Amino acid sequence: MERELATLDKGAQCCSWNYCGQRFAVGYDDGSVAVHDSDSSFSRSSKFKVHADGIMNIIWIPPEFGDAIACICIDGTLSLWEEVGEDAHSVSWKQCKVFESNTSRVLDVQFGLPTRYLKMVAAYSDGLVKVYELLDLLELNKWQLQAEFQNVVDSVSIFGKPTCITASVAWSPRRGESQQSRFALGFNSDLSQFNSCKIWEFEEAHQRWLPVAELAFPADTDDRVHALAWAPNIGRPFEVIAVASCKGIAIWHVWLNSGIDGRLSTEKVVLLSGHDNEIWQLEWDVSGMTLASTGGDGLVRLWQSNLNGVWQEQAALDCSGGQQ
Amino acid sequence: MPGRLSEPESALIPLSTEVDVPLYHIRLGVKPPIFRVFISWSRGNVLQVACIRPLEDHLARGEGNETSDDAGLGGKVVEVKLGASNPNISEAQRRRIIYDSVPPFVLLQSRRKAFLTMSRMSSSSSHPSTDWWKQVLEYSRSISELLGSSKLSSKSVIEDPMIVLEPVEKPSSLKAAWQLMEIFYVDKHYFSWLPERLVDWLADYDAILSETQMTVHSKLVKLQEKLVNLQVIENEPEYWEGLSSVLTVGWLDVAVKLLRLHGSYQLNQLDSRETENGLVETVAVLVSTMPRLRHDLPVRKLGQCLKTKPDFIKAWEKWRGQITKLDCSAFWVQCSHRPTREGLRNLLQIMLGNFNSISTACFHWMELFISHVLYIRPLTVGFEEMHGLALKFMRLKSSSISNGLMRLLIGILGENTEVVMAECSKSFGPWMVAHSAELLTADNNQNEILLHEERYNLGGISIVELHRLVYCQVLTSHPLTWQVAPTYLVSCPKQGLGLLEILLSKQPVQNYPMILKNLEICQLNELYGISSFVKKIAGMHQWKHGRKGSGVYWLQEARDEARLNRIAQQLFECIGRSISDETFKQWEGLIELLGSDVGTAGGVGFLHRYRDFKRSLRQVKNGRPTRAARQTVESLIQLMKSPYTPQRFWLPLLHDVVELLNWKDQPLLNVSETNFLLKKLQELSMAQLCREFSETYLPPEALTEIRLALATNLSRAFLEE
Repeated sequence: MERELATLDKGAQCCSWNYCGQRFAVGYDDGSVAVHDSDSSFSRSSKFKVHADGIMNIIWIPPEFGDAIACICIDGTLSLWEEVGEDAHSVSWKQCKVFESNTSRVLDVQFGLPTRYLKMVAAYSDGLVKVYELLDLLELNKWQLQAEFQNVVDSVSIFGKPTCITASVAWSPRRGESQQSRFALGFNSDLSQFNSCKIWEFEEAHQRWLPVAELAFPADTDDRVHALAWAPNIGRPFEVIAVASCKGIAIWHVWLNSGIDGRLSTEKVVLLSGHDNEIWQLEWDVSGMTLASTGGDGLVRLWQSNLNGVWQEQAALDCSGGQQ
Repeated sequence: MPGRLSEPESALIPLSTEVDVPLYHIRLGVKPPIFRVFISWSRGNVLQVACIRPLEDHLARGEGNETSDDAGLGGKVVEVKLGASNPNISEAQRRRIIYDSVPPFVLLQSRRKAFLTMSRMSSSSSHPSTDWWKQVLEYSRSISELLGSSKLSSKSVIEDPMIVLEPVEKPSSLKAAWQLMEIFYVDKHYFSWLPERLVDWLADYDAILSETQMTVHSKLVKLQEKLVNLQVIENEPEYWEGLSSVLTVGWLDVAVKLLRLHGSYQLNQLDSRETENGLVETVAVLVSTMPRLRHDLPVRKLGQCLKTKPDFIKAWEKWRGQITKLDCSAFWVQCSHRPTREGLRNLLQIMLGNFNSISTACFHWMELFISHVLYIRPLTVGFEEMHGLALKFMRLKSSSISNGLMRLLIGILGENTEVVMAECSKSFGPWMVAHSAELLTADNNQNEILLHEERYNLGGISIVELHRLVYCQVLTSHPLTWQVAPTYLVSCPKQGLGLLEILLSKQPVQNYPMILKNLEICQLNELYGISSFVKKIAGMHQWKHGRKGSGVYWLQEARDEARLNRIAQQLFECIGRSISDETFKQWEGLIELLGSDVGTAGGVGFLHRYRDFKRSLRQVKNGRPTRAARQTVESLIQLMKSPYTPQRFWLPLLHDVVELLNWKDQPLLNVSETNFLLKKLQELSMAQLCREFSETYLPPEALTEIRLALATNLSRAFLEE
């Protein structure tokens, strides 16, 4: 059963939905962003110019901070925009903040579940990871750089500067004040140490980010990561993370109770292949039981584990409607 | 190849065979080539898919064949509802079933809880109670009832002798499946009367089997159409075939009705066909007196009802003896009408349990199976034997299992609970599997353990819980059914509340009734964290969209001190930027709303004191009572003493009270108070802030006026003291 929600103008490049799926923002190659609302039957409610260059990705900011998005442009500029208005008739999108970088481009940005501060992780084309904290709960214009590090396990050795094509960040979706800040990050770069997906955890005692797990076997650490998704956990004793690399989609189980060395125990459950090994996006459903993936074959594939814990593809959706 | 595991050695349980994955086409998608596909899970099982086409310059390079349809199209966003819905059930009916099944489900859950508590107290076996199945039977019947009635009430008082097939509504295969499960899993009484239960079931649902294959029902439908036009009915082979078929499946009333249509009953022929008629009538009597091992016999149903096995065996032997006697009687020689003779003797053979006669008269393997247990093995046979028989009859009738009901029956007879659940899920949907799990465990400890055992592979939940969670996801896919989901989620001990939290946190909060509904659910389930989260989203949305009062209200409800303090600070800064009466009036309502108990930060405290000061000042200006004047001055001193009062407020505050400093009746400030204020004025002068403020909006002579008024007050206070 399907329903057409909206048609997009020429030049559309990316699309992203808000927390409840009732709004989505579309980025265009001319640097503009269009927002579509369910209130208006998903017709375009506003369109505004963000940048001179095309929009590469849009990420919605957690809803406790209003209706706001982060736009990553092709030139690597990151800007934050929010919808504000004096009344229902004078609503408009205004720019709150621009993160400019002369040396490297922003590849991916993700926002953590807010505890005391809203945290934003930005992955840059030179392999750097920057963690920012929002200082003002009402306005999105005051950010402080909390940490800056490279996505490598060995923090002592000195590595060269990689050239990264894409990056994937996924925060732990666990809600609750007591939860520690954690995110997973992987690169698609020319330097193998940077590629593999690592889980980073904020250590309160020393106020620093530490890599607590690496989601790759020693032989696979140089596999370029194309996408990753951290499954919602509604009560499992372990976390489930899907990591897409050139070899396929790996499903990992991660136990958050770290051992004596501070490392988390992990288990690679399966490696699923599909999409001609070019994966664009991974998305878990609300229960964390079904994984949807998109990729180079233009299909949406749905994966589930059966009662014996065996992961299988359940169905595939052909977006071209069979009009090959 | 979709569905394969590329690294089977790394999988927990390697798949030996490749699985065919169903491929669905999104008809509303875009024509290839596709640049990117973006996805997002929306409500429940709804997936939103954005198909983006390549840019024009890519297309121009020959990557696609642009057609006029797609000119100007950059892509499409489509919503896909996953999970097959039962095509035989309309949306409205589906929703009615969803809503109506809640009360029986809730009642059974509360009874289960009570039973579990009782059994724990008596430390008996793991199963709640030996009588538990009775509770489940009551539940099963309530559910069965809401799945629809298959019978139409007969409107005609006078029975039409030519109507052998009662008009019925199209039977529901969902109900048919439910009743099959009730027969085999729940009803202990009926299990000993299994053949009869199956005969009743087939009478109600044989029409469903007709959809894919010839059945006794479809044979009867054809015969019914012909009956009116047939002149000498007993000459027609179809009449005798139909008769033997209905008798085989135990529809005795129809068989007798058909027998009585025999031509020998016609008055003008009674004399010439006396023996023939006698034989027909004798067979009709034998049919109507067939012993039936069952609890009761509905009105108009034929046969002798026997409640116990010994009585039944006795009657059955007697009845069989009568049939054998008739079969061997000499009257057959006297019956000259060959079709009647042969037809009737065939009926006797069926009643005597002749497999060939029974098998010829049945069309569907399920009919043959039921006939077999009715005439050949009337006393209960074991599951294993029944399963073997079912498979044998399937081969005999060259049937494939094309129907969900058949697969379900095979699963039940094969005693494979996982197959039964999978079949329920596949053919009848998540509603069926979530609700029928109760039937499976009604009287079966093994199933109870199997379905309620917590499994690592499922993330620590049981199969029952898994199916409830899946059902809830389906419920949340529709805005009219999502509110039912919490009822089922609270019955999921491990992950129900976790899923409920996520579902609630993903509900849109733009409209007020929706927020209230969400909060009500949070309250009922003590999900205070989510409740606060929902309120925060609502508050921030309102605040950012110009509805400041509503925003503050929701943030207060969320007890979001950090944001409220920031709002207070913003107000404070706003008022501070232009300390005029106009600005103050604009914000006074919000200050009021913020309340005095918000946080400990000085911002709000100052705003409240400032508001009190302005109020009493207004009272003074309106009526000039000395009490109000005294109060105003006290407020002023408090404000000036407070470390939270910003310096930029000092001068405007003092300017506001110039009139009070020259109060006619008496000096309102004593010497020390006046000195304190003069000192503050001096501090301002030192900090060179006076100029800045007096330049903004205070009159140029403001500073002089204040100094003079303070000096006057000081002199009057000296004299007074």
